[in-house]
Amino acid sequence: MHQPLASLLFPEYRRRVLGLLLLRPDEALHGREVARRTGLPAGTITRELTKLAEAGLLRREKRGNQQVYSANTSGPIFAELASILRKTSGLGDVLSAALAPLAGRVKLAFVFGSVARGEESAGSDIDVLLVGDAGFRDVVEALYPAQATLGREVNPKVFALDEFAAKARSEPFLRDVLSRPKIFLIGNAHDLEELAGRQP
Amino acid sequence: MTLKNLLGVSLDAVPPDPAAIGKLLAAAQRNLADAQLAGLSAENRFDAAYKAIMQLSMVALQANGYRTLTSKPGHHRTAIQTLTTSVGVAPAQVVVLDALRKQRNLSDYSGDLVPEAVAAECLSSAQALKVHVLAWLKAHRPDLLPG
Repeated sequence: MHQPLASLLFPEYRRRVLGLLLLRPDEALHGREVARRTGLPAGTITRELTKLAEAGLLRREKRGNQQVYSANTSGPIFAELASILRKTSGLGDVLSAALAPLAGRVKLAFVFGSVARGEESAGSDIDVLLVGDAGFRDVVEALYPAQATLGREVNPKVFALDEFAAKARSEPFLRDVLSRPKIFLIGNAHDLEELAGRQP
Repeated sequence: MTLKNLLGVSLDAVPPDPAAIGKLLAAAQRNLADAQLAGLSAENRFDAAYKAIMQLSMVALQANGYRTLTSKPGHHRTAIQTLTTSVGVAPAQVVVLDALRKQRNLSDYSGDLVPEAVAAECLSSAQALKVHVLAWLKAHRPDLLPG
């Protein structure tokens, strides 16, 4: 099991609040809503939100008589911070943990699509490509609980090893996936090269 | 959720008709056979099996006196997600069927490749659904079964 990087870098409350808001930049939420969705106490959340807004990581606006908070997408480190959260506690860690029971049967798994590119919108699904001999049903069952945690649907694509090797370089769908950004959940870029074969 | 709650929202009332149900069961059977044609691509075997799932879901609704409101979007979703209420399919199985529905959207509208594992699961899920729906009819509405 790898080191939980996000928990090393950020205190837990901060990590959860930033994970929620920075990965949903088009949503503005009231403190109580943030508390509900992170499962954290409302009082502590209010202090955390105030601190993060004063530091410029969050934007605070008045909506009616409520203060709502959203990601400050024009902040100087928004893109970098969102990227760290996407790869760790905000998404990548949740999916890796969900797939852990299948580790022996999945050689490679990564997120692709709009989420991996950092271009997700409120309704975007999380696309995950897996290579190995796990069945589609096993993967759907393993990933199902993560959908509730992440508040997004997860769409898995499961390829057998020989099927992936045969099609990775020739099928337009796979060539497109391979040429674009990924968030690795099991295995790494080197494993991907090996499994996809080395021909151009 | 009861099916009645969805009347006018995503479902329409229709008297159960043995002829309509017989046609759907026969179509599902043809699609199950096509889903096993080795000469077809994974994509078209998947499509045939998925059609059978949809036709069997329609049988499940019609046997209860309902059909999906085709004037409303998302009737595939409705047909699959009501299977637990209509004929008692286990929720865990509905999760898999719903995941297959999303795969179908991605291959139909975005050109996503259909992996062999997905075509295989779609066929076995469709076959299991056929067995389940026929057993339900036999137990609850034998009058609707083709003679």
